[in-house]
Formats: sequence, C-alpha cells, structure tokens
Amino acid sequence: MKEFSYERPESLDEALRVLAASGSGAEVLAGGTDLVIAMRNRWREPKVVVDLKRIAELYPALVWADETVTLSAAATMTQVVHDEGINKHFPALAEAASAVGSVQIRNRATLVGNICNGSPAADSAPPLLAHDAVVVVAGPNGMRRVPIDDFIVGPGRTDLHEGEIGFALDLTVPSRPVGAAYERMTRRKGTDLASVTLCATVDDVGVTRIAFGSVGPRAWLRSDATGVLADPDAPADSKAAILEEVFADASPSVRSMRASPDYRNAMLRVLGARAVERAIVRLQELQGVS
Amino acid sequence: MTINGPVGTSPNRVGGRDRVTGAQQYVADIHLVDELHAKLVKIDVSRARIISIDTTKAEQVSGVRLILTPDDLPRPMPRFGPQYADRPVLAVGTVNYHGEPVAAVAAETKEAAEEAAALVEVEYEALPGVFSIDAALDSDAPLVQDPSVRPGETFADSNIKTEFNFGWGDIAAVEGEADCVIEREYEFPMITHFAIEPHAFIATLDGDELSVWSTIQHPFQLQKTLAKLLDIPLSKLRIFAPDPGGGFGGKQHPKLEPLVCYMALKAGRPVRLVMSLEETFQAVRRPSTRVRVRLGLSLDGTLVFSDIETNYLIGAYVDIADRVASKSSYVAAGPYKVPVVKIIGRTILSNTTPTTAFRGFGVPQITWARESTLDEAALELGIDRLDIRRRNLAGRGDEFVPGDTPADGDWIQTVERAAELVGWRTPMPEGRGRGIALGLKSGPTTGLSYSTVRLLADGSALVISGTSDMGQGARTVFAQIVAQEMGISIDRVNVLMGDTAIVPYDQQTSASRSTVLMGTSIHRACKDIHAKVRTMASRLYGVAENLIEVDGGTVRIAGEDHPIVEVVQESMAPLGGEVIGNGEMRKDKEPDHPLAGSAAFFEFNCTAIEAEVDPETGEIEIIKHITVGDVGTALNPQQVQGQDDGAAIMGLGHTLMEVLILDDEGRTRNLGAIDYRIPTSKDLPIALISESIENHDGPGPYGVKGVSEGSLLCTAPAVGSAVRDATGLIIRDLPLTPQRVWEAMKEQA
Amino acid sequence: MSTTVHIEAIVNGREHALDVAANHTLLDVIRDQLGLTGTKECCVVGECGACTVVVDGTPMNSCLMLAVEIDGRNVTSVEGLATDGRLDALQQGFLDLSAPQCGFCIPGQLMSAHALLQDNPDPTIDDVHEALGGNLCRCAGYLQITEAVLAAAKAGKE
Repeated sequence: MKEFSYERPESLDEALRVLAASGSGAEVLAGGTDLVIAMRNRWREPKVVVDLKRIAELYPALVWADETVTLSAAATMTQVVHDEGINKHFPALAEAASAVGSVQIRNRATLVGNICNGSPAADSAPPLLAHDAVVVVAGPNGMRRVPIDDFIVGPGRTDLHEGEIGFALDLTVPSRPVGAAYERMTRRKGTDLASVTLCATVDDVGVTRIAFGSVGPRAWLRSDATGVLADPDAPADSKAAILEEVFADASPSVRSMRASPDYRNAMLRVLGARAVERAIVRLQELQGVS
Repeated sequence: MTINGPVGTSPNRVGGRDRVTGAQQYVADIHLVDELHAKLVKIDVSRARIISIDTTKAEQVSGVRLILTPDDLPRPMPRFGPQYADRPVLAVGTVNYHGEPVAAVAAETKEAAEEAAALVEVEYEALPGVFSIDAALDSDAPLVQDPSVRPGETFADSNIKTEFNFGWGDIAAVEGEADCVIEREYEFPMITHFAIEPHAFIATLDGDELSVWSTIQHPFQLQKTLAKLLDIPLSKLRIFAPDPGGGFGGKQHPKLEPLVCYMALKAGRPVRLVMSLEETFQAVRRPSTRVRVRLGLSLDGTLVFSDIETNYLIGAYVDIADRVASKSSYVAAGPYKVPVVKIIGRTILSNTTPTTAFRGFGVPQITWARESTLDEAALELGIDRLDIRRRNLAGRGDEFVPGDTPADGDWIQTVERAAELVGWRTPMPEGRGRGIALGLKSGPTTGLSYSTVRLLADGSALVISGTSDMGQGARTVFAQIVAQEMGISIDRVNVLMGDTAIVPYDQQTSASRSTVLMGTSIHRACKDIHAKVRTMASRLYGVAENLIEVDGGTVRIAGEDHPIVEVVQESMAPLGGEVIGNGEMRKDKEPDHPLAGSAAFFEFNCTAIEAEVDPETGEIEIIKHITVGDVGTALNPQQVQGQDDGAAIMGLGHTLMEVLILDDEGRTRNLGAIDYRIPTSKDLPIALISESIENHDGPGPYGVKGVSEGSLLCTAPAVGSAVRDATGLIIRDLPLTPQRVWEAMKEQA
Repeated sequence: MSTTVHIEAIVNGREHALDVAANHTLLDVIRDQLGLTGTKECCVVGECGACTVVVDGTPMNSCLMLAVEIDGRNVTSVEGLATDGRLDALQQGFLDLSAPQCGFCIPGQLMSAHALLQDNPDPTIDDVHEALGGNLCRCAGYLQITEAVLAAAKAGKE
C-alpha cells in the first residue's frame, strides 16, 4: 500500500484537530478490517491514517447507564457478543455480531466501524435499525446525535461529514417488552458475507418491525402495525401477504455473484417469517408466557 | 501377518515437530542475500493482441533493477510443458487467458516491485475469446492456439486438442438387448486448488550453477525442463523442493520457474517470486467437464453397455490435461463388469486458466456423471441403488478393462462396510435421504523411483528419497519402513528429501504412488543393506553366507538372533563406516498400452451419505458422511485417516460450495478467499467416518496400496444421490449450493 | 508522527525496539523485519487465518493490522509457544494426533487454539470449531486438529 503518515491522538480534541488539518486526505482507523484491505487494494489512499484506539474518551468502550448502553468507536464485535446486558436486552444484536467474520475478525472489527463503512450488507445494521440506535457523531462543532435510519444513506455513504468521527452508538432498552431475532443467509455454514441479513422485533402491542439489508443500496426498516405478523396464531399466508409489503422495496443487485435476486427475494420472505416466529417466542419468554 | 515394528502403527509424523514450532521452512520463508523481489505484470483481459509494452514509467521507480519483457528472452519465445511445449515463458504476441504474465519486474523491495508493475503500460487490443465448451466448439470460434504451434495435429484447426477412444465390443450389436437405455449429461464446474501456501519460486546463479527453490511436487521434472530450456547440464542445476504447503496436484508441473530463472540470469542476482492467492487462482485449476453417459441395462439392473463421452475444458495451454483426460476416461465405465464399453474423451482448449493435475485426476468429474446416471437408471428400474452396484461390481481378478490390470481387491467388502456404516438397510428418519456411490482411480502406470538408505555407524539411518511430502506423510512412512527393516527406533531415522543434488531420481509424487513405488524402492534399498550385512556377518562370525538369514532387523546365524545394528557396529569398530543400500523401483512403459502402462494398483472407494435438505432454503445438512477405501495395508493408520477425512471434506467443497465464476469476458470474478468458498471447521458433516479395508493385498511393501485420492472420487454423486432421495430433485451440475438446490425446487414445483 | 514509526513491543517474551513503516502490516514486520517466519501469508484479506497471532491474549489476523499497532503490546506468535525448546501441551497434542498434514495452516491453528484454551480451558467440540472457524485448512485436517485441541485441554486439566 502507498505510504502514509500515522497519527495516534490520545484525546478526542486532538483527533478532531488532526482530521481538520488533513482535510479529505485522512482516514480513521479502528479495527482495520475494512481499511487495511482498502489501502492494500488502493481503493483508498489516505495521506494520513488516524488511529482512534488511544483516544481516552472512547473508554470504557461499552458502558451501561440506566437502560442505555453506549458502545464507543473502540467497542469490538467480540465485546458486543460477550456483553451480558446486550445478550439480555438486545440478543439480536449479539447474534448479528457473532456472525461477523471469525473470532480473529471479531476481535478487531468494531460495531461503529461496521456502520460507518456503510456496506449495504453490514450485519449490524438490521438490529441497530430495529432497535432505534442513535449514532453519536463528534465533530469540530461538538457532538450531534443522528438516528441510525438517517445516518445510513447509501452504499459506502453515511451522514458523516469530512472531519467528523463516528464516536459512539447508543441503544436504549425499549420501555415495553420486545422480542427480537436475527437471521442471515450465507453460502456455507462457516464465516461468510450474508446475501440476506435481517432482524425482526415484535412488541407486546402487536407491532412488528423488520430491518433488512444486502438487498439494495442500504438496509431498510419497515414495520407492520396490523398485528398479523406478531400474532402467533395468524395463518402463514396472511403473514406472507404482509411480508410481501414489508419487502416491497427490496432490489437485490443483478450483478452480485453471491446470490441471485430471485433467491435473495425468496430468502427475505423465508428468513423474515422465521425471524418473526423466533421474535414472538422471545417475547413470550420475556412475558413469562410459553 | 505380523509386523513387528512401527509399520502399521502411527508414530509421530517425521518432520512434524518443525510444523508445530514454526521452524518449518517453506519456500516463502527462505531468503537469499542480495535477493530481488519479483512481481508479475498482467492485463485485465482474457484474450488480447499485445501491441506494445512501455516500461519507462516503471523504470523510474526507485529500487527497480529489471523489467523483463519478451524482448529480453530468446526468439522464438521458449516454451515448455509436461506434454506439449506450448506454454511460453511470457505471453508473446497474444495474451491467452486472464492472468497470463506479460512482463515481470524485479526490485529491491516488494513495494517497489508492486508499484513498478502497476506502472508498466501495456497497449493491447482485446480479442474475442472462448470460455465454455460450447463456445470453444462453435464452428466460428476463434482458435485458442494457432495451428502453426500444433503441427501435424488432427484437430489443429479447431479448439479440440485431442480425442481419445477407448472401449471394447460393439455397442450397436448389443443395443437391442438392453431393456432400459438411459442417457444423461452432467457438468462439473471450474474449481481451483487453493493450497494455503501460494506458489513461490527463487532462482540464483552461483558461478555456473543455477539453484532454484520451488514449491514444486516433481523436482526432477522441473530440473529436466529448466535444463532443456536454459541449456544447463543437470549436474549444474540444483532444485531445492522444500515440503509444499499443500499441493493437491497444482504444484506438480513447472509454471513460473522458467521466468524467474531468466530474471535471475539477467539480473545477476537472486530473484524471488511469491504469488498472491489471487494469482494462484489464475494459474491453476481442475478441468471442468461435460460428461454424457448412456447406459444400457437389463431389467434386473445388469449393465449391458456403457457409452460415455467426456469433454474437458482445459484452458489455454495443455499442461497435463491430455493425461488427465486419457487416464480418467480410460476407466470411465467404473469398477463394474460391463460387456461392451465405448468411451470418447476430448480435451478442449479455452481462453481460461490452464488446467493442471488436481487430486483425483479427472476421475471425480467422470464419477459425478457416471454414478449419478447409474442412480437414475436404478430409479427407472425400481432397483435399490446399493443392489444395482453390487450386481455389477467387479470381483477380485476380474478384468473389468479387458486385457488390463484386473480388479485388485475384494471391493464388495468396501461397499458393504460403507453401506453398513450409513445404515443403508435401516429405516430412514423422516425428511432425510441417503446416497451411495463408488469411485475408482488407476494408480501410477509408469514410475521410476531411486532411493538410498545409509545405515550409519551407530545404527541410526538416513533415508534419501525424492518424494515430495506435501502433507500426505511420505517422510513418516519411509522412516517407518526403514525402522522396521533395520530393527531400529523410528526416532533414529532421518529422511532427506527435496534436493536434486543430493537425492537420487524420482519421477514424481502423484497418483498416490509414493508408498507403493518409492516405498518399494526403499524396501529394496533395505534389502540391499541386508545383503551387505549378511556379508559382514559372514566375515565377523566366520560362517558361510548361505547359512545366514537377514530379515526385519535381525541377523540369524545358527539359530541365534543378532540385531542388525549389533553386527554392523562390531564390523565397523576398526575403521568406522556405514552400510549403503540402493533401491530402484521401475515400472516401465508399455508402448502398446493406450496409457503407456497398466495401473500398478487401483484406489477404490465407496462413499455413503445421509443428508437432510431444508425445503425452504435449499441448504443441505450432511448428517452422516461415510467413506471407506480399499487400502491394502495402512502403514500409518493416523495418516491414512487424515488423508481420507481430508479428501472427503475437499470433496464436499466441490460438491457444495466451490466454483470459479467468470464474467462475460472470461475473467474470473471471485479471485481470492472472500468469494471462493472452501469448507471451514464449521462446514463439517455431523458425523464423518472414514475407514480402511485392509487385506494386505497391495503391490507395495507390507501389502500396501496407494491412498489419498480415494475419498473425493465419489463424494459428489453420493451427496447428489442423497439429495435426490430426500427431495426427488435431480440436479446435474455442481456445486449444490443452497441457491442451486432452491432453484431446482422451484423448477420442480 | 510520520511514515516511519518507532515502536516498542514484547514479542514472544522478548523486548523489541524497532522502526517500522506505517504502511507495513504486522504480518510484514513479523516475517520480514523480525525474521519470525512461522506466521504465514496466504489470503491477506483476513479470511484464512494463516497469519493469526495473539496480541495481549487476543487472537488477530496480523495481515489486517498495521505493525505500529503493537506498540506497547505483547505479541505471541507460534515461535513463542515452546519454552526452551520444550513443546507445550497443544503442540504436543497436535504431533501426537497427527494434526499437521502439509503444516502451512498449523501455526495459525495453534495460535487460535492457544488463545481459546487460555480463555476457556474446557471447551466443547463446538467451541473449538467456532474458535478455529477462521483458520482454513485445505488438507482439511479439521477432525484431527479438533481432537488435538480437545486432547490438550484434557491434558491441561490433569
């Protein structure tokens, strides 16, 4: 890869100053699992690489305060997978994180990095969308909070402006009981990029939300307020009809070599139905019903 | 049979220690003083006319020492290849496949070489190419190889390289006798070896001696090729062949060594080239095939005739493809007694990566078609798929290829054992399916292996052998044989390989031959030592030689046993010394034989599968994967198991997930590890059981036959059969990815 | 900071002070600068695991790390498993169970297994498959590798 200058700021202010000085020639480095590949292939050729991992304000990387968990830019997928609180309150997120790459990759890849990279197939996007995560962005004018649905824009595009850093993700435990489940489709059981990635949540008033990715320019969040999806006794074909509407905007790429559009569309429906069923079961467990 | 000694046990792998400490030196771990780093220059096109190569910008990069283009090479461009000298050292005039090197840079650092390679400007005119069998055979198809490089060849004006005709009897005469005739076509995709170690090469000229390090499996063939190309005597051309980090056939024949040698000669310094993983995908693959099988059977399932047509898409240069095609086509009818057989095999050139040897050597591709068609026949006739095979299976001694090596095992035992392990006759759980298939591959048809064993003064021993140990454990097996025959501990045996200046000639490491051919050679070297020890004992004890017996590790004189080592040590006490034994195992060519020789042995395998298919997603779950092989004797049971398990899983790779994807212009889209899927530790069957049938009936030492390819010969048809059994789906191409299975389900509905 | 960075790290128990190019990966530096060629290069995209090393107890793909990132950290590669030439239980288990075939993936497998056992001394077979899921073996010696890890875990408990 091309030569670059390496910076390792120890405070957020320092990091922002370096970014401001470098303009468009800087890239931030957290886990490196996307950036190093990009640099080696010369898809990105920064003049300055700013390593975020010594920024004091990023630690502890994962903090619970009341009902909100804040995952900083330093929080790795491994940390997400093993956090007790996340497994309890956001099991779908833990499931998604555990599907990202191998142990070695998860020890480096960060949740914030995954979202900021902006891949339409990002596995963290569906659960974060389904749980209304908020992205905390640090910039020269201070912090701003961006709902995840607004933060994700398109392929490789987020709401991050030049000179800003994806600082943290906030997730708040929903005030009402919610069951959630994550599903993905891959070509093999081992580590693989997903051709369909989705998360379903079902709450106690019959609202179902489904967030899904890898089938268009970005991951989307849709919801069903009819109560049909959330109803464990509703017949399969009425659920299927609702799912048709949920997935109406899916537009999988014809150029993808991972899966055909037909297969992806079909698996959206299959996995969507499965995720909803599992979410219902999880909700029932929460409510002490089986 | 009693074997006292390490043969038949599983002592720790010789050379294993270095593999677990990181001390093992693979080619890429070797550095020479003053070395230059090389990088290939390629263009992003499958076929093109090269107009010009401008190296001006590249030469400006600091640290660049040499940019080799065709102008720097002799005219006409030197060419090489194990069967035809058709592969140019560098593309000249045209590029004929995506990734063919057009130039190469050597620089002080890897980065400089990379940067300079990216700056070499190649002006070219893209040309239409052919990337599939149909395209290559089209009457208007552009020719992959110009007729001028194929003088005297029958098919020079087409993309057919060679056509092979095998078989016996007259199909027309018996066609009417068949109650059921079934004809099907099956396809096998392009796949690549993906050894975890990418190919690597180093060359250096020292005075008038050229030394070459390579990941090559056949060091002596490489030596011969380079000696001829460069006009250097064999005695001054030294090949170092460290254990390859996985070969599977992809490292058998020379590829870039000639280029690296020319670079070293021109630069006057050592040059090293380590390929990237993506480059290896462009450099080596298995022939993809379309195989048409037409079977005629009686109502009771007896085969009346087999009519098989095999078409191999072999890429831009032949490498060893004609041999792959002929050898596998020859036994296309399988391990069955078939009264009339007609086989046509065809190799077809294409503007794609040249194919080379790959574990199984054409047999997996044919077996996929044949076994699957036999299954379809069984379905039509309402006959159990195990029974139809038992009915037709050749028995020991049957000349299932008339006039050729007869069936060399009680193969029915292998089949029954596999059936038993999968529970063929037991009731099947709901939603599951079972499949069973047979695979047969010929072992080596010719061979020449020399070896030397040196029994040293303290009773330790050196084995000097040209086999390549790429994981199959050859080194260990040879050490076991010597330890057994000398009566010494295997810890006292050292094995030297991989250096043509020290090690005597070995034709090659392939076709699962080494335990049989080199093993026999080593066994004979031990016998040579035994003869010399007899003479020593005679002198030492004053007893006539004909009253002395030497066997295993023992010298028997007048009813008394003396360990060989004792006799040797006593005899050497005055002056020191050692006892040197030489062994030769030769299997000569049979000039009238269509394959230039009959098989030394057969690898016979039965694979049985129990599987489940998710009716919504098409995902296949392998519940039970049984693989049983007829091995003669397992000299090292643990290593045999490792090879069998490994081959079985590799077979699941091409069955379930592996395929090289080309775009419309014949360029490979999924180069590298992210989008080319091979099995991981999470892709294993729920139960994988591999077993060996040991009847000690092989031609090698202690009754051994060759192993290591058997378990992947019939994986695909066995899985396909189970999928069909579970779902009724008949899919005639691979891989059986979830999407592929789902598509078949849609079609069926 | 600049395009060359001075770092200090402990590698296999030994302190190193060295200047590394910012654009060199840890894999480059470990193999070419430190001469520790046990760690292997294969896919360089973090898929095959042949380059796995352990950094502060955590297994990582060294091909996707910049060398500078080990500044102040503790790195273990395969050469660091044996003590004074004595193989550790894992290495011995691999040998005894004939786990290495061609051997090229083995350093990576060992490092993933080493990290697993430090964290979870009593893994299930699924734990092992998951922990080593990012280490490709084309010889597909997975069954024997898994057995070897479980054997080493057992030996560790006795």
